[in-house]
Amino acid sequence: MSTPIDPVQSPNDSAQVSPMLAAMRLLQFTDSTFPVGTFSFSNGLETASFENMVTDARELEDFTWAQAVQAAYSDGVVAIHAHRAFLRGDYEAIADADKALIRFKMNAEARQMLRRMGKKLAELAGKLFDNQIASRWLADIKADLVPGTYPVGQGIAFAAAGIGEREMFCAHQYGAINMVLSAALRCVKVSHYDTQQILYRLSQKVESLYEEASRMKLRDMNAFFPELDILASLHEKGNMRMFMN
Amino acid sequence: MNTPANFDRIMTSSVPEVDFSSAREMQPYLTEPDQMYVGAPGKHGYLKLRFQLDPDGKSILREIDRRVPLIAQQELYFDREMPEMPCLYILSSGGPNVDGDRYQQDIIVEKDAFAWISTGAATKLATMKFNYSGMIQNIILEEGAYLEFMPEPVFPCAHTRFISDTRLSVHPSATVFYSEIFMGGRKYYKDGEMFDYDILSVCSHGERPDGEELFREKFVIDPNKMNPRLLGVMGDFEIFANVIVMTPPEHARKIYEATPVVLDRKEHIAAGITLLPNDAGLLYKVLGNDSSAVKRMVREFCSIVRMEVKGKPVPEEFPWR
Repeated sequence: MSTPIDPVQSPNDSAQVSPMLAAMRLLQFTDSTFPVGTFSFSNGLETASFENMVTDARELEDFTWAQAVQAAYSDGVVAIHAHRAFLRGDYEAIADADKALIRFKMNAEARQMLRRMGKKLAELAGKLFDNQIASRWLADIKADLVPGTYPVGQGIAFAAAGIGEREMFCAHQYGAINMVLSAALRCVKVSHYDTQQILYRLSQKVESLYEEASRMKLRDMNAFFPELDILASLHEKGNMRMFMN
Repeated sequence: MNTPANFDRIMTSSVPEVDFSSAREMQPYLTEPDQMYVGAPGKHGYLKLRFQLDPDGKSILREIDRRVPLIAQQELYFDREMPEMPCLYILSSGGPNVDGDRYQQDIIVEKDAFAWISTGAATKLATMKFNYSGMIQNIILEEGAYLEFMPEPVFPCAHTRFISDTRLSVHPSATVFYSEIFMGGRKYYKDGEMFDYDILSVCSHGERPDGEELFREKFVIDPNKMNPRLLGVMGDFEIFANVIVMTPPEHARKIYEATPVVLDRKEHIAAGITLLPNDAGLLYKVLGNDSSAVKRMVREFCSIVRMEVKGKPVPEEFPWR
């Protein structure tokens, strides 16, 4: 059994963290080895590939962009709200954002994914730093008082680590895009070069998504991706299980 | 809304105001029309329908209140599987929705009552130059109530701006089937007018009688910002149906199991189903390129719902519909 390591005291005031330390934290929280289980999900790509809807790099780029936009105007909005609420010390607003996201997520497997990853992030945050809001959120998840969605966890963890809202949004988008692209390497005929080119191109559009998402209230969240919804449903009722969605 | 002061008294005070000027996505479309002002008589429709169960088990339209241009036809009892159920068509005497139109529809189904509602024909959202057309719906189902709301498709034209907000307040023991079908546009008008509208903003939210919100679905389609033909959005499809079924969890689970999911790219039809958050019920979506095929899918799904909740199927559609 490994020796327990004391969590680091985390200030609420992001100004107390140096830019270099914030950058290190950003890399840590965004890295694919950060254990929140992103590798288990394909966000419908497994079905899209099986149904021959995504067969090459061009179709993969369109599919990934649709996922990125969908995430920006729901998960991204909630992550921003949670980040701002954390900096204000407003726990009720964090809980409200958490519940609003579950009410907005129509797809059952998507809700399951957000809650699973959110709880893992909350537990991990408890091992990394001491923070009253983060601890309360984890306790409330365990008591089933809040759903514990991943974007809310991102808002809390990134704000607690002194990472700014814009940078957190980048991490959120990187996560959404890379989740699909990583899955693509396992279920679509594309190369690492293809996926890196797609990531490089889509990154250029992230700023415009932030400009929109950062001005949205929780009630402004919106999504129109019926084809993705139907793919998710096919996965939900089907028996493909390389990925959890 | 900017209404000329002299006309204030003409406006019917009992008709609730319908105003979406605070909606983020409608900000570019708030200019007052050059023609009749926003909310003018004839452009501010209101409809209230209240269904009640008679002592002999027949469901009746107990109350109706309306303002032009909305009309509700005499209720008929033509459903041969449920002859005790009132079937009612909503019409508009004003033709299509135009710039600055406002509508509100309040539908109440009292304890254990039931009803079927549709529209007489497709709803056309006209080409618009000014402002937008907005609609608020309050659909309230009391204990054990049952409602099938299955209107004909909606056709947006070039530069249509339309926003709606539908509140479904449903008792945990009641069931509502609420469907909407959106066409891409007038495919055979001139050279074709597909996805040429400015904006469609549609929000449907479900709650319990105490006001506890269970889900909130909102889609904003702005073809200028994101091409609806993109993979993942509509892809190769042109028609989209959205069906919300709020029903007790034991019904929801059986309906979910009984409903097939489809992706047939040869026949250009796809359908998916999922369970709504907070045990609210189900969400069913259909994509297609042929309106009769999409309507048939919606109707077949309604039959699964009715069979589970009422033990009876939905009869075949009339051949002229």
